Amino acid sequence: MNNKDKIIEIIKNQNIKPKPKWYFAFKNISVWLFYIFFMLIGAISFSVILFSIQQTDFELLSHLGHSKLELFLSVLPFIWLILLIIFILGSLFAIYNSKRGYKFTFSKLIAINVGLSIIFGTIFFVGGGAAWFENAFAIRTGFYESIQKRKQKIWQNPQKGNLAGIINKVENNGLEIIDFENKKWIINIDSTFIANPVLLEKDEKIKIIGSKINDSVFKAKEIYPWGGKEMRNKRRNKRRNKNK
Amino acid sequence: MIRTKINCRKFSDSELILKSIEDLNFFSCIYMRYEKKLKNYIKKISGFDDEEIEDILQNSFIKVWRNINSFDHSMKLSSFIYRIVHNETISYWRKANAKSQNELSYVLNSNKEQNSEYKDKTPKINHIKKVLDLLPIKYKEVLILKFLENLDYQEISDILKIPEGTVATRINRAKKAFKKIADEKNLLEKLINK
Repeated sequence: MNNKDKIIEIIKNQNIKPKPKWYFAFKNISVWLFYIFFMLIGAISFSVILFSIQQTDFELLSHLGHSKLELFLSVLPFIWLILLIIFILGSLFAIYNSKRGYKFTFSKLIAINVGLSIIFGTIFFVGGGAAWFENAFAIRTGFYESIQKRKQKIWQNPQKGNLAGIINKVENNGLEIIDFENKKWIINIDSTFIANPVLLEKDEKIKIIGSKINDSVFKAKEIYPWGGKEMRNKRRNKRRNKNK
Repeated sequence: MIRTKINCRKFSDSELILKSIEDLNFFSCIYMRYEKKLKNYIKKISGFDDEEIEDILQNSFIKVWRNINSFDHSMKLSSFIYRIVHNETISYWRKANAKSQNELSYVLNSNKEQNSEYKDKTPKINHIKKVLDLLPIKYKEVLILKFLENLDYQEISDILKIPEGTVATRINRAKKAFKKIADEKNLLEKLINK
């Protein structure tokens, strides 16, 4: 028996059937779904990194004598950076295993994946998704401290000249604020620089650079908005009122 | 066994694939169309004897049959089959290599002596084969596919599952490595001069 007949015999005798079309279609769809999943999580990780950078007051905190690099490393969310790398590698693996993935060079695949993570991550960040996601992640996982919490810790340091909180009362040349540890402070705002768009209104969240006078009085040198969602909403409302 | 006689030449590769799914007898047309080419390819890349080549080809065609529904009609059937045969040959070669490095080289060398088809048709071909056998497998395979199988970059890319740009780079590097080895073995002159 020649080899050709032998092959046909084996196929018939062992009843070898071709794998069905749906099996290959399912495999192909799964690979793409994995790719989309990995790429989106990578994009979310990138958006949280952007959020973390945005929330770091490099210019304001440098008065503490820390270098920008030191500050950056202290607030850089390594967990998100590691997640970004893992998910970019995952998406690379998925696309390489797609039907025509081998047609792309490794450098092209990296450029495409990093590019897409940056684009979708930036869109997610601009849409406010990063802040929401990061906060939700911190609530659901016990080990992770949110960026806001870390920022609050940095600004809850009156000894070193940093204080932040919510305005409780506005008086002629002073404010009363409640800090993140629920402690009341009288803020002296004589000859204080007040940055735009701080309105000095009740319930406004602010951060202050200055010096501690005593246990309940703080002399403000500069006042800035807390930043983030509240600040964006305030800017939006200001713009709306102007247009009216 | 009742087997209808089929005029295989009437059908294109794509038609044979579609007909094979309905009638297994058409699958033997695919085998006959590629048998000789593939046997030569396996021999060039591995130096195995006829019996081993038949085994590899048999296993490869059973894999082709199992995966026939994954055939992408935008690709050449030859690339699809070559890819499976190539992978099967390499995995067979690796298994043999793992068994015993020394045993394999003995087998390969003795095959070269015994095998009538491997024996010199011309001294030049023998020299080429000698140099090819000394190259790393990744260089050897691209040179064989490009210059002995006369395949284009796209086909080689589909068989080896690497980008076309990488195929070009690898061929260039393989050519340099080939020249270097031929030079070291004093075969370069013999290859250039008839």
